[in-house]
Amino acid sequence: MEIIGELDYSNAAELRDRLTTVALEPGQRLVLDLAGMDFCDSSGITALIAARNHAHAARADMALAAVPSHTLRVLHIVGLDQIFPLYPDSDAATRS
Amino acid sequence: MMCRTDQQPEPHGAGEETSGAAFAALLEDSAEELYESAPCGYLSTLMDGTIAKINTTLLDWLGLEREAVVGRMRFTDLLTVGGKLYHETHFAPLLRMQGEISGIALEIKQADGGRIPVLVSSVVKRGGTGEPLLIRTTVFDARDRRAYEEELLRGRKVAEDARKQAEADRARLQDALAVLQHSLLPDSLPQVPGVETAAYYHTASPDRLGGDFYDVFPIDGKRFAFFLGDVCGKGPQAAALTSLTRYTLRAAALHDPDPVAALTTLNTVLHERYADGGDPRYCTAVFGTLEPDPVTGQVTVRLASGGHPPVLVLRADGTADFLRTPGGLLVGVLPEALFTPAGTALAPGDTLLLYTDGLTEARTGKDRTSLYGDDGLLAFATRHAGESPRAVVQALTGLLDSFGDGLDDDTALLAFGVPADLAT
Repeated sequence: MEIIGELDYSNAAELRDRLTTVALEPGQRLVLDLAGMDFCDSSGITALIAARNHAHAARADMALAAVPSHTLRVLHIVGLDQIFPLYPDSDAATRS
Repeated sequence: MMCRTDQQPEPHGAGEETSGAAFAALLEDSAEELYESAPCGYLSTLMDGTIAKINTTLLDWLGLEREAVVGRMRFTDLLTVGGKLYHETHFAPLLRMQGEISGIALEIKQADGGRIPVLVSSVVKRGGTGEPLLIRTTVFDARDRRAYEEELLRGRKVAEDARKQAEADRARLQDALAVLQHSLLPDSLPQVPGVETAAYYHTASPDRLGGDFYDVFPIDGKRFAFFLGDVCGKGPQAAALTSLTRYTLRAAALHDPDPVAALTTLNTVLHERYADGGDPRYCTAVFGTLEPDPVTGQVTVRLASGGHPPVLVLRADGTADFLRTPGGLLVGVLPEALFTPAGTALAPGDTLLLYTDGLTEARTGKDRTSLYGDDGLLAFATRHAGESPRAVVQALTGLLDSFGDGLDDDTALLAFGVPADLAT
């Protein structure tokens, strides 16, 4: 799944609703490609956590691909860079 | 009667030659009929008001017979008491002065006791030498118009009442929000012996309860606990989360003031409360303790951070640096979370500064695309190193103001320092 544009208070709920419709099998990996994401605030971070919870509830995994530097900085501050598997791009994220 | 002949309308020729004759005949033929049955009332009075001529339309409205009116009643006899009064004080004087008056709202009495709102226009007809001969008056039925105006007025009143109600509701809601917001922050900070404390809270929007919080409180005879943090989201749900966070940390600190233990307790509580609902809620927080040494004046600081930007230490010697707590995770996200402890000692002239990311995430630059950032804050702190907590917070308050609309988030500041003059 690719996230394009800004992920903030105004649309994070929409992403969360969309994510819950993604059917996951145990052992699968949900990859969120953030290459096209311009901006991500705390609501966006919440949506990423919700995505991880959704994946784990299905005994699947979640990874982030192509995280922009500004978001990586925030993930680092809040300690989530150790929680989300991070990959340079979607291919790398799906291969491993 | 003289007035009757004067009253005959002049036959008008129609403009078109082809149909002119037919129109003229039609008009002439129906002139009397037009006068009597016109859709408005006509009457002519002598200068003293005596009614000399009146049309059928108006007689019908009044419910009177022609014989009872002509030569027997004055115009004012047709009016209500209020109408009479207005006629005497305004209508008649203006008519005498101007020779005509137009569209005056009056009420006429009906024989059966009813009243009809009307619009009255009058013109004085003069003789060859300019002497006033009689008054010609038209009377328009204004019942529909009055009803329409009343409807408009009623509509306006309903709208006005709704607006007042909405304003009252809004004011009450603002009051309630202010009280709630107030309950999320301490009224005043306790006196910590040998420590100067300063705090500041910037609210981005009065309508949306903020998600930043801080507190300072005694734990035992020697130590004080403090915390500062930021809950995710805004509004009532964020306020509820703030409240839960604040009181959990207060209770946890009394049980075990170790910073990592306090944050771990908070993590357990938040995760248990929110994680299962599919609506993850979390906060970032720095929790710590202050232990002043009454002999040396030094204050031992122990703290831990969960996902919060690193605190700053401003030294008396003019340097400043972050007290880093790498790897501390957002509080409430995972059932088991790691929090990173750190510690320092504050000597006289040193200041510890806690802040929320409203400060470092503020957008700067002409196009508001640059972040103020950690580097900007560190440089600012270095310039103010050696100053008292109050002075540092005041300087930062000025900095926040200077961001203008680049500052779109709530921001909390909390600073502790050992006053420099105590050492000397």
